[in-house]
Amino acid sequence: MKHLTEEELIQYGYGEGDKTLIEEHFAVCMECERAYGAVQSDLAEMKFPNPPERPSGYGDTVWKVLQNQLPAYESRKRTWLGGGLFRGLGYATACALVLVCAFVGGRLWERRQAEIAATKHAVPAPPVIAHPPQRVVVVVLSDHLDRSERLLVELKHVDADSTEMVSPLRDEARSLLDANRICRQNAKHEDDPALTGALDHLDRLLAELANEPGGLNSATITRLQDEMNKNGLLFEVRVLRSRIPHSPGAGADNSKGGTI
Amino acid sequence: MRMDKNDHAAIQAVLSGNKEAYGALVVRHSQSLFRVAFRITGNEADADDVVQEAFLRGYLKLESFESRANFGTWIYRIAVRCALDKIGSINRMNDRMRVGTETDPEQDEIQVADETAGPDRLLLSGEIAAMQRDAMFSLTVTEQSAFVLRHMEGRTTEEIGDALGIAPNAAKQAVFRAVQKLRRRLSSLRVRI
Repeated sequence: MKHLTEEELIQYGYGEGDKTLIEEHFAVCMECERAYGAVQSDLAEMKFPNPPERPSGYGDTVWKVLQNQLPAYESRKRTWLGGGLFRGLGYATACALVLVCAFVGGRLWERRQAEIAATKHAVPAPPVIAHPPQRVVVVVLSDHLDRSERLLVELKHVDADSTEMVSPLRDEARSLLDANRICRQNAKHEDDPALTGALDHLDRLLAELANEPGGLNSATITRLQDEMNKNGLLFEVRVLRSRIPHSPGAGADNSKGGTI
Repeated sequence: MRMDKNDHAAIQAVLSGNKEAYGALVVRHSQSLFRVAFRITGNEADADDVVQEAFLRGYLKLESFESRANFGTWIYRIAVRCALDKIGSINRMNDRMRVGTETDPEQDEIQVADETAGPDRLLLSGEIAAMQRDAMFSLTVTEQSAFVLRHMEGRTTEEIGDALGIAPNAAKQAVFRAVQKLRRRLSSLRVRI
């Protein structure tokens, strides 16, 4: 049988250890039970004098001694407030500023990168041409003046007695009449008095050619030829056509051209 | 152990700048600190010094005190360590003052008070108490403190370990070694008598 150690007996004496196991062992082992009795006796003998009683005001006495030695916590609190808290707020503000700057900088950088990318990948813009919308008008006017010039040339040289020659003139005059009115309105809108005046003369001529009551006869043709020569309408149309750039028959140096 | 609400309020007041609130804690816990300090140091004056030192250390460390803890336990632990420091410094001083007598084989016999007295009388006399005290001082600081906390203060092994800053098993061993040494000391004394 294995006996209990002194350590186990002492622990048991202080109420620790496996009580059940030890008590079961005591039941069958007189030697250990006697050993425990000795331990118990020794522990009971170890009586030390109680500490002397301190007066009821002992705590106050201790506090009076300490009171003047203790540093003021208030000042440490102020130090914490003055240093720690505001320092912490300072750090927090600095961090917030850094974050804001980083955010704004990032946004700007992103936008700039997008612009650069857009510039790189963008299709080059066509060169700016002065009055681009007028180019169509210019072409139409040029064509109109060209056709009008041909009509006037034919009218100038037509045989007034030949009905076969006069009929195509009337048809051409009818087809030019609408275009002439549009060009005239545009010229008036563009405040071009020379062009407006020439187109006015042309309009009257075209109207008479197209809408002469009873048809075109030799007297009417002769009269219109006289008026055309008198007004110098053919010359005027040619001058105007020469002002228009890129127009068929226009001079290469007529770069300014004319607009309606 | 639950935190005393009054202690908690006083601690908050102190940390908020009311130094005087610490006075209430000192008044409330001075007696218990004196008892343990006296039992470890065995001297009233030293115990008073320990009490003051413990409260001073406690005040300075009050910011590190966790509000969930018990102030009484916390300041008790500080007092035990102050007492250990105290008797450690006393022992070092005694070691310096002790000249040669420690090696004298007759030293123990000099401490026997009255060889003519019978055992019963000896056990009941104040002499035995003096011898027990001498036996106590033959223990190491840790053994002595562990024994005081276990035998006199009735603290558990865990509480002893916590107060001394050692593991519970080490505290149990310290108590065992202290009791073992005291028993042998007292046993040899009885044999001679």
